[in-house]
Parts: sequence; C-alpha cells; structure tokens
Amino acid sequence: MKRVIEGSHAVAEAVRLARVEVISAYPITPQTHIVEILSEYCAGGTMNARFLRVESEHSALAALIGAQSCGVRTFTATASQGLALMHELLHWTSGARLPIVMAEVNRALAPGWNIWTDQTDSLAQRDTGWIQMYCEDGQEVLDSMLQAYRLAELVYLPVMVVLDAFYLSHTYEPVDVPTEEDVDRFLPRYQPRFQVDTENPCAFGQLVPPSAYMKMRYDIAGAMEESLNFLNEIQKEFYGIFQRRYEPVEAICCDDAEIIFVTSGTVTSTCRLVLQSLRDKGEKVGILKMKLFRPFPVALVREVTSRAKKIAVIDRNFSFGASGIFAQEVRAALCNVPEHPPVFGYIAGIGGLDVTVELLAEVYWKTKNTAFPEKESIWMGI
Amino acid sequence: MNEAANTIPLLLPHSSMSTESNKTGSWRFLRPLYDEKTSPCSAACPAGEDIARIEMLAAQGMFKEAWETILRENPFPAVCGRICPHPCETLCNRMEFDEAIAIHTVERFLAETASRNDLKPALLKLTAKRQKIAVVGAGPAGLAAAYFLAQLGYYCDVFEAMPEPGGLMRWGIPLYRLPFLALRNEIAQIESQGVHIHTGQQIGKKFLQDARNLYNAVFISCGHPRTVEIGITGEQISAVENGLEFLKRIRSGESISPDGLSAVIGGGNTAIDVARSIVRLGGKALILYRRRRRDMPAFEDEVQMALEEGVELREIVAPVKITEESGRCILTLQEMKITGEDSRGRANILPDEGKTHELHVQHVFKATGAGPAEDWYNPTEEPGTSLALTNARLICPDKGPVLVFGGDLINVTKSVVHAVASGKQAAMALDIFFQDGIEAIVPKLQACLVGQGPSLSMEVYMGGERRLINSHIVKYEEINTDHFQFQPRITQPRLLREERLMSFEEIDLKISTNLAIREADRCFNCGICNQCDNCYMFCPDIAVIREKGCQKRHINYDYCKGCGLCVVECPRNAMTLKEEEL
Repeated sequence: MKRVIEGSHAVAEAVRLARVEVISAYPITPQTHIVEILSEYCAGGTMNARFLRVESEHSALAALIGAQSCGVRTFTATASQGLALMHELLHWTSGARLPIVMAEVNRALAPGWNIWTDQTDSLAQRDTGWIQMYCEDGQEVLDSMLQAYRLAELVYLPVMVVLDAFYLSHTYEPVDVPTEEDVDRFLPRYQPRFQVDTENPCAFGQLVPPSAYMKMRYDIAGAMEESLNFLNEIQKEFYGIFQRRYEPVEAICCDDAEIIFVTSGTVTSTCRLVLQSLRDKGEKVGILKMKLFRPFPVALVREVTSRAKKIAVIDRNFSFGASGIFAQEVRAALCNVPEHPPVFGYIAGIGGLDVTVELLAEVYWKTKNTAFPEKESIWMGI
Repeated sequence: MNEAANTIPLLLPHSSMSTESNKTGSWRFLRPLYDEKTSPCSAACPAGEDIARIEMLAAQGMFKEAWETILRENPFPAVCGRICPHPCETLCNRMEFDEAIAIHTVERFLAETASRNDLKPALLKLTAKRQKIAVVGAGPAGLAAAYFLAQLGYYCDVFEAMPEPGGLMRWGIPLYRLPFLALRNEIAQIESQGVHIHTGQQIGKKFLQDARNLYNAVFISCGHPRTVEIGITGEQISAVENGLEFLKRIRSGESISPDGLSAVIGGGNTAIDVARSIVRLGGKALILYRRRRRDMPAFEDEVQMALEEGVELREIVAPVKITEESGRCILTLQEMKITGEDSRGRANILPDEGKTHELHVQHVFKATGAGPAEDWYNPTEEPGTSLALTNARLICPDKGPVLVFGGDLINVTKSVVHAVASGKQAAMALDIFFQDGIEAIVPKLQACLVGQGPSLSMEVYMGGERRLINSHIVKYEEINTDHFQFQPRITQPRLLREERLMSFEEIDLKISTNLAIREADRCFNCGICNQCDNCYMFCPDIAVIREKGCQKRHINYDYCKGCGLCVVECPRNAMTLKEEEL
C-alpha cells in the first residue's frame, strides 16, 4: 500500500516488517525520527521487540553485538559523531561476523556543529568491513533495508544503509509499504550458523595466533566479494515478490554517453533533471549512480565507463590530503584499465550546501571544456 | 541461495575450556587487602565513639546494634546527642563534599529509639575483680568512670552530695536543652550495669583516710560548681547572683520570676543558659561580654537561638562596679577596645579609657567561669607517685587508696563528652594499675588510642573487634566521591520561637525513623566496609568472594591479579593495596 512517509519512517517500516527483535540506539539529529517511531512501535506492541535505551552509540552497538550473538535480528541507527563513536565496534561487528543492520543518516562531522548532510561520516568507515548501500529515495530506503537483512544473514557481514540527512530522512514521499506476508516470503526467520548458547557455554572472540587471524580476515574479504553475487540473486527474488529491483550501480543513459556523472544519494535525483535538459540540447551525457559502495563494484564501474570519454565524480565528502572518496574509488577501479577516461573530481554540497541543477550543469560544461583535470579536486560553490 | 551461503567460510575463535585453569593470581605483584581504617569523626570524638560504624548500622536500620556501639564508648548518647558540641561534625569528611553528617541528631535518635522500646543493651562485662572503687561526684565523669569500671569487673560506689545524680547535667543545664527523662534513663542504664549511687552524701577530705580499708581507689570528680569571683566592687551585694546557682534553683523546682531587666555577665554557655532561662521566666536579659560575639566560648547555635528569643547582647564591654540603689542595680560599664588577636583568633582587649557609662538593671547574674567547691578537690603534689594523663591525674600516696582526679577538675574543655573521656581514661588507668602496675599505664593506653588520640576506645581495651582497625585517619581525598550524590544535611525541626518562650519544653524536636536513616545514609562510612560490594562488582576476575551469611568479603588470591580496581573503587578507603613480598 502506498503511503506518504518520511525517509526516516521508510527505515522504521522496514525494521518493523523485518520483525527485528532487539533495537538499541542513542538519539542524534537527523536519525531521531527513525528510532522515535520504533520506540513507539515497541512500547505500543506494534513490534514484538526490546528497545534498549543506552547511554551512547558505543553502547548501542555493543548491546547489539551481544544480542545478535544470541541469534536474534537487531537494528540500530545513527549519524555523524554517533557513528564515529561506534568506530571500534564497527570493526568488532564484522570481525565477529555478526549480520547487524544499521541505518546511517549522512550528517557532517563537527566542528563547527552542522546537522546537514555530508557523506564523510559513513565513507570514513569504509575499511571496517561493513557493506554500505547509498539510497536515493524513500522507496529505495525501505527496499534496501529489507535486502540488507537478507544479504547480511547470508554472508555474515553487517550492512549499513545510508541516507542523506533531511533531503531524504525528513522528506515525505509516496512509498509502497509492502505487506507483512510478502516480506515474510522474502525474508525468512534468522537462523544463524553460530550463536551463544547457555546450555553449551563457550568463549567467543578470544586471542588467536596470527595465522588464524589472517585466515579470518581472508574469509571476510571473500564474503565481501561473494556478497556481490548474492545481491544479484536477492534482486531476482525481490523482483519476483515486489516487482522492483536495484543494481549495485545504475547506469542511466550511459550507452552512448561521452561524459558520465558519478553520483550517489539524493544528488542522483537532481542529476537526472540535468541529464534531461542536457540531452534535450543534444549533449551525450550519462549518470552512473553508485548504490553499493562496499564492496565496491569494480567490474560494473569499469563496464559502464568503458565507452565514456570523461568521468565527472560528484563527491559530497572529502578525504583531507587526498580527494573526494568516490573519485578515489573510481580512479582505483580504472587505473589498471588501459586508455581509461580521465576522472574529474568535483567536491559539492559539503555540510549540506545545496547541490542545484545549475551547479551540476556547470560541472558538466567545465568537464566538457577541459581536456584533462587540472587538479584532483575541484571545489564547487566555494 | 541459502545452501550456497552455508559454504561461505566462517572461521570464528571460540573455546569451551573454562578460564579457571588460568590462575591469574600468579601475575600479581600488588595485593589488595580489606583494611578498615579510622574515621576522622571517631578520632575527633573525645569519647572515641565508632561513629562511621554507628552511622552504617543506623542506615541499615540496626538501631539496637548502633546504640550498643555508642554505649561501648559512651554511656550518655541521649545527653550527648543533645548538648555535646560535637567536634566530630567539625571534622566530618562529608563537609568538603556538601555538608557534615548531623551525627548528634542520629545519636539522639538512637538513644530515644532504645528508650522508647525499653531496649536492654548486650554489653561485655569482664569477670569480677577483687578491688573496690569509690567515686566522688555523680556528674558525667564520675558516672562514666563507674560505668566503665563496672564493665571491667570492679565494684563501684558513687557518692553524690546532691539529692539526685547527674551533676551539672541535672542541676546546671536547662530543661529546654536536656529534658529530665533523657538523663534519668541513661543514669538508670548505668546503674543497671552494677553501679551503686549514694545521693545526699557530702564527702569531706577525711573520707580519704576513712576509705583506706574500704576502697582500693577513689576517683574524684566533683566538678566546678562554684562561680568564680570577677573581682569588682559591689560583686557581693545581694542583687548579684551566681549564674550556676540560679540555674540550680530553677532545676530544683523553685518558682522564680526575675522581673524587669537582668544583666548577665559572661560569654560562656552558662551565661547563655541563664539569659534564655530568664526570658522564659518572663524577664528580660542582657548579656554583657567583654570581647566580640565570635570570641564567645558559648556554642554559636545557642547564641543564635538566644538572640532569636529576645536576649540582647552587648559586646566589648566590661562591668567595673556594681552599686545598689532603691532595689535596683547600677552597673558601671567600661567600654573595651581591641588591640589585636591571640594565637587562637580571640580578641585581645584593653579598657578604652574614659569611656564608661551606667546601666540600670533589676538583677545581675555572674557567669564568668567556675571552679571547684572545695580546695582539696584540686590535685596537689601529694607524697607518692603522680601520673598526669590527658584527662585524668593519678596519685599513689604512700598510704591509703589510689587517687584519680578527673572531669572538670582536670579537663581543659569542660563538657559532658570530655568528662566521659576522663572517666574512661581513669577506669582504664586503674585497671592497668591493678593488673600490671603504674609503669604499664602509658603504653597500654597508647595501644587503645583512636587514630592518633587522645581519644581512647574501651572496646579496643576490652579486646573487641575494633582493635583490628588501622589507626590511619581517612582523609577526604581518600574517599571516592564518584560513588556519592549530593544530599543536603537534615534540618533539625525545632519549636517556634513563640512556643519556646512559653515554657522550658525541649526545643529540638524528635525526628522520624525515615529522616534518621536518610541522614545516617549520607555518611561516607570513612574507612569501614558497609558491604556496598563495589569491590565485588568491579573485580574483573570474580576474585572477591561473598560467603553466604557472612558480612565480610574476602579475596581469592588464586585469581586476583592485583589490578587494584577494588581498592580504587572502594568508596570509603576500607581497602589497601600493598606490594607483594618477594
């Protein structure tokens, strides 16, 4: 049934439908609406779940590590400083192979204090072993959440579903909220391959020799790679029930495109408008929407960009001393491809600054009129 | 898809072996110990009461045990809970956190609870000794000495000149501060320990010879009932009365109405008691003090209440002459000037020459200090061995019984609790003297000091649990205040000013059990284990052992790796970390 709901509520509806049993979270703008509604669901009996009020994000995730180890499906949500505070336990979650799902609302890191959208918080956690999915609209948020549980519980890796602050978290849009029956068909009950069992007590995660440690890390790397294949299978199942599907990357008008935008999050929607007006003028432009960031879909990026002459990456984030993070990843994906197109890195919308149609058009013309990027990063609107 | 997923490698470290095989105690180079220490309040209490433990027991609702803990060191909790200047509270560590514990309020509550329920204390009594002891004067020092001597197994006769025992507590302290029943119950309790009180028995110096065959020792504690002369003209006229005598007349039931304005000369508690009694009897009172208000030896709280009740105070003025004229007194007052301060911060004064004026009053009361009733009560250098202790003086004449002087005759500070300290010291000294001779007295008393002294513990002397307490006095910095929350001190409920003036009704009202527990619960319990179990909860090795039915904790050194968390997290410094001996 279609309902007009906030992006935050799309997350909450997915958590309800996924029959999550333990939710542990600490409130932080712009994540608050997610856990607010979930706490009501728990208190009012809409969900049969325990809502743990904890004293910090560190504790929020620590509590879920405990709960998930006992074989229950869990959820948390955070943003910005909250995610930064979880950092240590992000590593622990993947290392312990716990399929925890988190909603992460992109918010700029302080100081100066800023509550608006910026991807640096989640992208800075790229090496923690979490699968990361970036969403464009409310429907994608809800669907990605359901798919996240399915994927996480297959490969035993945690998943972060990422959405832009306010542009997505606080924007009301029509979202098709599926029925419980349909979701139950898609997402079976969580039956872990290992769990804490009081009848059979044992210690988890203790000291291991380097050889075992390296093998554990190798397994995680393998599971990350495998997740691309599983995600593909999941799309088929999902489409069969809901008639919607999402690819790790979405190629929009890329077949004949000479210049390809690389976008993520809600900037993609704005870029779709720019694409329309440029195409109307006869410009050969395309968009590569990055949905999946971890694992990074290298092969798909290579394939989509193989015929392009230039690539313009829009980064609403920055890695100081290097460049925009998506630009880094695209460059890394292409560096072993002979004669690959040059990658223009544009930094836009930092700290929630509006990324407008005009700004993206300027990016297009700048890219078209320059033969080769003069700098690794071009800061727009500064 | 699920089958395919099941083949994903999932190497996870886990172990089913118990960690008990890993005896982490072998890593230890520091050893935590339960090591109970001395609270500053208990060391500050002249009677050496184990206050931290009393508050702990009170907070746990163990009122009888708390009361008995007081009685092991002081037979007068109902009295001291009311009129003690409570030096304990001045040194309370909690004062640096928010406010000192109202120790005296809890003490009074415990005594009242015991009395209301007619509780009988279970106190240790040693086997009977053959020596008999006479006590001269049934004031607080004499009664305390007899009480402790009885516990130590001695037969005691107490001789009192007045028709009732109690000394200054009975005859010198107004009822609004110390009601009759509170005192009577505690004296009855002392008698029940086997003390024989003989009232109406004036003892003369000759008694010392007569006693030779009857008693092995005499404790002389006749106090200071006589007001000292000021030394001014007209002091002897009939309209000038001694303050203590006036208080005694009131407490004897005489009906007195000091009409008009009365001048009260002095700045001590007697002056305040006299003035406050006058206003209750319908008169007006004006206190004349030669120094400043803050130099007055009287308790500040009492001065404050006196002023509230309408007593007037004139500071830095000294009477130099008193004359009588048609039934009225004319006081010539000399204004004083302050020339500096002495080492205790008291004003040094000199007459401000030329500045005198006259004051017309109906009565004059002298309350400028007191001395012994008879000269022989002062210890003189008698032939024989003499031993000066902090609160008593022992004299062993060639012939006759051992003499011990105590109470106000010896004490620098004249208070009930100091009198108790004197009686206790005398009792211990006599016991040591009879058992081990005079040379043993000083070292044996030294072993019974609370903290660094001078307070003594009878419980320690009698071999009780308290002897295990470390003499280190816990400092505020040694309290882990993270484990405490701010909570204001109890406000003592009192009669309204208007109610106070209508009678000699006790001013400080009773408090409820809830309030008493809450106040006792504020106590840090410095240095003693109150079974809070922080050590148990914080120990990362589960090496703190609580045995069922046992109040004490102990440490399993097989697993204690000496991290010291228990010691750091002990809120009250009841533990110590020691280096392991190699």
